[in-house]
Amino acid sequence: MRRTIFEPMKVLLFGLIAERAGTPTLELSAASTNELKVRLAEHIEGLAALTYAIAVDHRMVIGNMPLNGHEEVAVLPPFAGG
Amino acid sequence: MMPTIRMNDVKTHRKRDIFVEGPIDPAFIAGSIAKHATRTDIGAHEIFLGQVRADVIDGRTVEAIEYSTYRDMALERMTAIREEAFTKWPGMTCLHVHHSLGTIKAGELCFMVFASAPHRQSAREAVAWVVDRIKADLPIFGKEIVEGGGHIWKRNT
Repeated sequence: MRRTIFEPMKVLLFGLIAERAGTPTLELSAASTNELKVRLAEHIEGLAALTYAIAVDHRMVIGNMPLNGHEEVAVLPPFAGG
Repeated sequence: MMPTIRMNDVKTHRKRDIFVEGPIDPAFIAGSIAKHATRTDIGAHEIFLGQVRADVIDGRTVEAIEYSTYRDMALERMTAIREEAFTKWPGMTCLHVHHSLGTIKAGELCFMVFASAPHRQSAREAVAWVVDRIKADLPIFGKEIVEGGGHIWKRNT
């Protein structure tokens, strides 16, 4: 379902991305993950040079995906577990 | 006669917390091994331990790694990995995973994957596979603290 009014949604930021943004969360409006990337780049200086992925409801997004604003959206830098 | 219920017959794979604050104490690992003494169907334990390495990056030595995670996603991914592991190695008796959060100094342990099985092959294969999957799939982030106070964000290759 596409929202008619794009109220901001809470976006979770982690690791290097949170450090660059200076905050662990951002309130952004976006109807898709591609649009979200544009909004993120407006808020996080130098984002284009960084490697990151978008997770929606705990799943990594490949390509573009519509957002209804009720998902749990996170921006993830490369993993470093182990 | 009542049938014997073995641990293998009941695998619920509930979302367990794998994360521990601070390093993994070798005494805890010893305790984990000891707890399996009553499971006499086990013939093999395989344990992988990750230790923080004092890498030298651009001439500066790594003193510690500060780990953080996207906990809800990591635990959900871990549950899926656990389920897949028990599907691939149905003979595996049990699988224990712990990963550190917070600051872990060079030389300290930050990661443990411990599998037990009747025979060594499934325990050995399962641990190798689970370690690789965790490194690739779990949203865990590591800030390498270098001497002199700076930091570099670690990434698994």
